[in-house]
Amino acid sequence: MLFETGSLTRQIEYFFFFHLIIQHSKMLSIFNSIPTHMDYKGQKLAEQIFQGIILVSAVIGFVYGLIIEQFGWTVYIVLGGFAVSCLLTLPPWPMYRQNPLSWQPALPETTGETQHKPQENLKKKKHK
Amino acid sequence: MNTVLSRANSLFAFSLSVMAALTFGCFITTAFKDRRVPVDIHVSRVMLKNVDDFTGPRERSDLGFITFDLSADIKPIFDWNVKQLFLYLSAEYATKSNALNQVVLWDKIVLRGEGTKLNLRDMKSKYFFFDDGNGLRANKNITLTLSWNVVPNAGILPLVMGSGHMSVPFPESYETTKSY
Repeated sequence: MLFETGSLTRQIEYFFFFHLIIQHSKMLSIFNSIPTHMDYKGQKLAEQIFQGIILVSAVIGFVYGLIIEQFGWTVYIVLGGFAVSCLLTLPPWPMYRQNPLSWQPALPETTGETQHKPQENLKKKKHK
Repeated sequence: MNTVLSRANSLFAFSLSVMAALTFGCFITTAFKDRRVPVDIHVSRVMLKNVDDFTGPRERSDLGFITFDLSADIKPIFDWNVKQLFLYLSAEYATKSNALNQVVLWDKIVLRGEGTKLNLRDMKSKYFFFDDGNGLRANKNITLTLSWNVVPNAGILPLVMGSGHMSVPFPESYETTKSY
């Protein structure tokens, strides 16, 4: 089995691989145009979902590895749980956008300018 | 948590923490297990020579040649936290100049999944059985024991001695073979 020859080095390899993916996605600007936001209730739901999936797969993996006497299978099952929860929680599915925030309507521009000038004077007084 | 990257970051960190807890659990389930197994050693032939030992300071030293048989069932030691076993056969004796001498004669690495029943016949020693001087001649009692080092996936490496040993006396003079 692969993990008998040092599961710690394998974990470090996976960490560096993941880090490289993140760095590259920052550099490619096409990723910025894909919408990725969730609302607050959706974020809480996503966090609960991935924590639950990984804990359940950890328990299943531990028991299965103990029964068949191979620690490699425990690690494989936890990695499978990680992949499933990546798929379920990383992309912004519609179930995470059920409670959008209700923003106030935008103010028209003319009243905005007259309000800016007295605020600038106030700021200058504070700096002195 | 409102970008993909921060979600991915917290997901990955959580997975690693869970993996670390599982590895600790794997260690805890086998930490207090007794890893001793009965071992049967039999010596068939012993020969003694007196040769120049260029690694030592004196003129000539005793060199012993032992042919032995070894049988043990090491399957109960292997579990999900054992990667391999390092077995070694050592000879222990006392001489006039040194109270305790221990010499490793032979060793073997057994990986998990292979060779669970050791049944070796007429094995020659792998390493030279040099004495620090001339203490092997007419020595009444030389004890051979098999010990092993358990190499785990996670945790401590215990050094365990097998529960079976064999004591042989060495011949009185050089260049004569003694059979048992």
